[in-house]
Amino acid sequence: MIVVQIGRLAQQLGVHRNTIRNWIRSGKLPARGVPGKRYLISEEDFHKLCHAFGLDPESIAVRRIPMKADQESPPQEPSVPLTQLKPRTNLLRASPQWADVCLTCGSCASACPISAVDGLDPRKVVRMAVLGLENQLLESDWVWKCTLCGKCEEACPMNVEIVSLIRAVRGKQPRDRVPVSLQRGLQTCLETGNNLGIPQEDFVGVCLDLADELVEEGWNGFRVPLDVKGARVLVTVNSKEPFADPDDMKFLWKVLHAAGESWTLTTEHWEGLNWAYFTGDDQTMRALVARLVDQMARLECRTLLLPL
Amino acid sequence: MLSIFDLLMDYVQTGRLELDPRLHPETTTFHDSCHYGRKSLQAFGHGYFEEGRWLVRQCCPNYVEMYPNREGNYCCGGGGGLWSVPFHEERVFHGRFKARQIRNCGARRVVTACHNCRDQMEKSLRKEYDLDVEVVYLWELLARSLAAPGRRSSGGSR
Repeated sequence: MIVVQIGRLAQQLGVHRNTIRNWIRSGKLPARGVPGKRYLISEEDFHKLCHAFGLDPESIAVRRIPMKADQESPPQEPSVPLTQLKPRTNLLRASPQWADVCLTCGSCASACPISAVDGLDPRKVVRMAVLGLENQLLESDWVWKCTLCGKCEEACPMNVEIVSLIRAVRGKQPRDRVPVSLQRGLQTCLETGNNLGIPQEDFVGVCLDLADELVEEGWNGFRVPLDVKGARVLVTVNSKEPFADPDDMKFLWKVLHAAGESWTLTTEHWEGLNWAYFTGDDQTMRALVARLVDQMARLECRTLLLPL
Repeated sequence: MLSIFDLLMDYVQTGRLELDPRLHPETTTFHDSCHYGRKSLQAFGHGYFEEGRWLVRQCCPNYVEMYPNREGNYCCGGGGGLWSVPFHEERVFHGRFKARQIRNCGARRVVTACHNCRDQMEKSLRKEYDLDVEVVYLWELLARSLAAPGRRSSGGSR
């Protein structure tokens, strides 16, 4: 193809600019407008034009760009196999906000700290959901490497709910694809009441020991409130603390004591973590929340301190 | 339901907790946790951005910010369950932005209100990126800043 500018071509042919514009508009000179106020004309049409004006096409300086149609070489197979797109489904897109409104601008991919890990990024995940590639998403580890931090959503000009989409992918993956540690912790929580399977007597023992230590440290009169009915605030516990860092539990206890708070721990279902949130398992998430609500009812507490 | 921010703000604002701002002169910064911030803003219409800063300033007058912060803050890299799963390299890689923010702000102490964030920064990023900081829970900072440790408040206004 030949790239022409109207003013320059008019000069070369010795006609007015508007004459050329009229030829193009009427179709007499087939040309296609391209950015930069330039037009593309085929080699053949350019030759015809030059002959009509008695000019030698070779003597006129123009810019030529190679196009597929100009080349004699046979069409080549694409080097990367094409992906077969599937029909759209609603599996991951209960709400259009999850993907349909995406403009594909890539702001999310720029914001994401793990873009390109495993060759994926939030934009690709959204496009895959839109283009019917759910099965590839359901086999991906990337959704577990994402921290659901929401930088992508903050960057998105269309408010696509990318985090919800990624969590939905997590939830739709077969449970044997959930990272073992998360699934096992969740199972343990369902069976024992906390993610690490700490027996009730051990939990109570740790609490009483810590309370003794606080008294020794000068917190006179400190007693750990276990199952105190009618306390104002029910305080949940992150199971890693009694398990691995029991001393860390004393910080909050000191604050609650110093503030003169009316608070209690429960010795049943005291777990403050809800890993079903991470695994995308709404049903289990609800069941674990219900346990805390039951404890509030049992202990007649008005307020729940969560998360902690 | 209360978040820890609501509870602590109430204690300090109503005078039930007396804090001594002279105990922690070191430069201190506050890390916005994704879920207390962005996620809470989206889900409940309120992101806990200012509460943590105000509380930290009551204990540490020498306060600095990391940039970007609040809605634009970078994740510590340990959220979403990643702290508990075996994708160790990706977790540390994710944390590179947070590590750079911490180093650039020059703080010697990072305060946060999330167990995940605290563990990722204290137990992983500090070592992986050679950061000379201590990472503490918000309520830990308050417990360590009490003007009269061991004494029980008369109850204040409740």
